[in-house]
Amino acid sequence: MSKIQKKIWTVFAIVLVIMSAIWIALTYYNNKTLNQYNGILERYLNMNEVTTASQQVINALNDYMLNPSLDNLEEIELSKRQVLLAKSHVHKLRNEDNDFTLTNYIHLVDSFIESTNRFILFYSENEIEASTLEFAEATSISNHISDMTLTLIDKELKTYDKFYLGMIEQSANLKELGIWLILLIAFILLVISYWFSRSITKPVLELTKAANELSKGRFDLQVKVETNDEIAFLAKTFDHMRKNINKLFIETKHKARLEHELQQNQILLQESQFRSLQNQINPHFLFNTLNTISKKAYLEGAEETSDLLVNIAGLLRYNLKQMDRSVTLKEEVGVLKQYMEIQKARLTDRLHFKLDVEEDCLKQIIPPLTLQPLIENAIIHAIEPREDGGTITVRIFQQGEHVNIDIEDDGIGMDLDKIEQVLHEQYEPTEGHSTGIGLSNVVKRLKLFYGVEDALSIESIIGNYTKVMLKLPRQKEE
Amino acid sequence: MRKTGLVLLTIIFVVLCYFTSASAISVFNSGWEMPKSIDGNEARYRLVLITQDIDTPFWDQVGRAAMDEAEKLGVSLEIWGNYGGHEEDFLRNLEIAIQSKVDGIIVQGLDSDDFKELTRVKASYYGIPIITIANDVPIEESLRRTYVGSNQYEAGQLIAKQLITDMGDSGDVVLMYNQNVEYYQGQRLTGIEEVLARYSNITIHHAQTSNSREDIVGSTQSILNQVPEADAFIAVNANTVGAMVQEIGKRYQIEPFYIYSFDDGPESIPLLEEGLIDAVIKQTPEQMGRDSVFIMMKWLNGETVPLDAAGYLTDIQVMEAADLNE
Repeated sequence: MSKIQKKIWTVFAIVLVIMSAIWIALTYYNNKTLNQYNGILERYLNMNEVTTASQQVINALNDYMLNPSLDNLEEIELSKRQVLLAKSHVHKLRNEDNDFTLTNYIHLVDSFIESTNRFILFYSENEIEASTLEFAEATSISNHISDMTLTLIDKELKTYDKFYLGMIEQSANLKELGIWLILLIAFILLVISYWFSRSITKPVLELTKAANELSKGRFDLQVKVETNDEIAFLAKTFDHMRKNINKLFIETKHKARLEHELQQNQILLQESQFRSLQNQINPHFLFNTLNTISKKAYLEGAEETSDLLVNIAGLLRYNLKQMDRSVTLKEEVGVLKQYMEIQKARLTDRLHFKLDVEEDCLKQIIPPLTLQPLIENAIIHAIEPREDGGTITVRIFQQGEHVNIDIEDDGIGMDLDKIEQVLHEQYEPTEGHSTGIGLSNVVKRLKLFYGVEDALSIESIIGNYTKVMLKLPRQKEE
Repeated sequence: MRKTGLVLLTIIFVVLCYFTSASAISVFNSGWEMPKSIDGNEARYRLVLITQDIDTPFWDQVGRAAMDEAEKLGVSLEIWGNYGGHEEDFLRNLEIAIQSKVDGIIVQGLDSDDFKELTRVKASYYGIPIITIANDVPIEESLRRTYVGSNQYEAGQLIAKQLITDMGDSGDVVLMYNQNVEYYQGQRLTGIEEVLARYSNITIHHAQTSNSREDIVGSTQSILNQVPEADAFIAVNANTVGAMVQEIGKRYQIEPFYIYSFDDGPESIPLLEEGLIDAVIKQTPEQMGRDSVFIMMKWLNGETVPLDAAGYLTDIQVMEAADLNE
C-alpha cells in the first residue's frame, strides 16, 4: 500500500546490500591476506624457535658443566625437548625450494641433539676432555644452526619475493579497486537517489501545478499523475474534486442564466399584458363610440357619414374578433367592400376600384384579413403617391381545383428583388398599415393555412403594374 | 538534452564498470603462488659441492655440469662456495655439510690441517663420503674416497714444455706459488721443475706468497727486484696471476715476458683473452663436475666399490693466447 515507503526501503536495501557485499569481500580478502602473512611470519618464528631453543640447550649445558646438579640436567632435558618440538615444527615448513636446506637443517638439529647426548654421556662418565670437546662441538653446531636459520630465512625471503611483490601489487590494485568501486557506487547511488527523489517530487510538483491552476479558477485541466504511489491516489482524488467543482460551477452558471432569462421573461410578460389590456380597452371603447357617433350622424341626417362610421366600426369589429379563426371568402369580400368605402371617402375619385367575383367562389375558406392588407398595400404604393390616382382591380374566379384571387394595380410596380423579399417573408414595412398586418404576414398565414408553398405570387412591370395573385386550394365550409 | 544526458550517464556507467571490473579481475587474479610444499620424506640423495671460489668461469662450468648431471641422476645437489677463496668460510661450509649429514660431499681439496681434520675425523665419524675435485689432497691425509680432476703433475709438465717452446732453452723463470705449498701446487711444481731441470741454461727462481693481494703484489715486487732479468713467470696458483700481471705491468711492458698460469683462477681466462699472459693449462671443468657427481652416485649406489683411490683424471691441454686471438 504505502508505495513511497516501499521505495525508500528498496533504496536503503540496495545501499545496504552493496555495502555489506563490499564489506564482506574486503573482510574476506583481508582475512586471507592476514592468514598468509601470519603463515609466513609463523615460518620465520618456527625457524627462529630452533635457534633460540638450541641456544637454551647450550646455556643449560654450560650451567650443568658449572654445576652438575640434577636440576640442571633436568633443564637440559627440557630444553632439548623444546629443540625437538621446534624441529618438528620446522619439519612441516618443507617445500620445493628449501627442501635441501631444510633437510640439512633438520639433520643439523639431529647432530646437535646427538652431540648434546654424547656430552651428557661423557660428562657422566667423567671424561672431562671428551665432554669439553663435545661441548665445543655442540656450541659450533648451535652457531651453525643459527647461521642456517638466517640462511633459511634469507631463502624464504627470496622464495617469497614474488609472493611479497604480488601482495604489494595486490594491495595497490585493491586500493585502485576501492577507488573505482567508490566512484561506481557513488554514481549508482546518485542516479538512484535522483530517480527516487524525482519519482516523489515530480508528482508532487504536478499536483502543486494542478492546485495552482485550480486556485486560478481553471477547472477544465485534467489532473494527471502517472505514478503508482500515494501521490497518484491523491491526484486522482484531487481530479475527482476538480470534476465535482467544475460540475457544480457549470450548474450554478446555468441556473443563474435561467434565472436571468426568467426575470427578463417576466418583465416582458408584464409589459405585454399591459399592452394587451391597453389594446383591448381602446378598440371596444372606440367601437362603441363609433356606433354612437354613427347613430347620432344618422339622426342628424348625415347618412353618408353614418355609413362611413358603420363601415369603420364593422372593419374594427372584424379586425378585433376574427383574427383567430377562419372565415369565408364572402365575409372577407364584405369587409373588403367596407374598407374600400372608407378609402373611397378618403381618396374620392382618385381611387377606382373594380371587383369581379364569381359567386361559386364565395364559400371558399380563407384566413381572415387576407385581402385587406393586400388592397391596403396596393393603395399605399399605387394610389397614394399619385395625384391622379389609380385603379385597383380585384378578380375572384375559379380555375380547376383552385380559387384564384388577382389583385392588380396600375402603379409604379416592384422590382424582382423586392418581390423575392416579400415572398420569402423578409420584407416588413409596417408603416401606414391600419391593421398592423403586412404583406409578409399574409404570405406566412396563407402558407400555414393551406399547407402549400405557392399560395401567393407577384407579377410586376416597373412603372406599369403590379399584380398579386392568390391561388388557393378549394376548401369549403362544412 | 534529456537524451544526451542519458547517453552521457550510460557512458560514465559503462566506463566505471569497465575499470572496476578490470581492477577487480587484477586483484583476484594476481598470481602469487606459494612454493609447493613437500610432504613426506622424499628419499633423494643430498650432495654438496663445496668450492673455495664461486662465480669464476672455471667453477661456474664445474657447477653447471655437476648440476646437470645431478638432475639427470635425480639427486639433489647444492653448490656452496664463497668469494675470494676465504679459507675459514670454506671450512665452515664443509663442517656444516658434515654436521648436516648430507649423503655425499664433493669438495675442492685444501691442503691444510683443518681440512684434513674435518675430512678424516668428522666426515668419517658421520660416515659421509668425500670426493675431492680439481685440487687433490692425498688420500692418506684426507681419507677422501677419490679424486676427480686434472693430473696436476702432468699439467706442470705441459706448461713447462710450452715455456720451453716459447722461450727457448735458456732464461730466468720465476715460479710463483703459495708459501704453504698445497698438494696440487706441489704436484704442478714437481712437474714444472722436472721439465726445466733438463735445461741447464734455465734458472728457476721461487717466489712465495699467500693468497692475499698485498702479499702477491709484495712478492712480485721483491722477485722483480731480485731477478730483474727474469724472462718468464709461471703462476702455479692461478689465483695469483691477476695481481702478478698487474704488478709486472706497472714496471715493464708485459709483452717481452712469458707469463703462464692455469685456468682455475678467476682472472686467468680474461687475461689470456687480453693477451697479457701467453698460455694457460686448460682443464676440463665440465668433465670434472659431471664425473664427480656420477662417481659419487656410483659409490652411493654401491655399484663401484671401492673407488679408484688414484683418482679419475680429466683432460688437460695448453691454451695459448695466440690460439685465442686467431
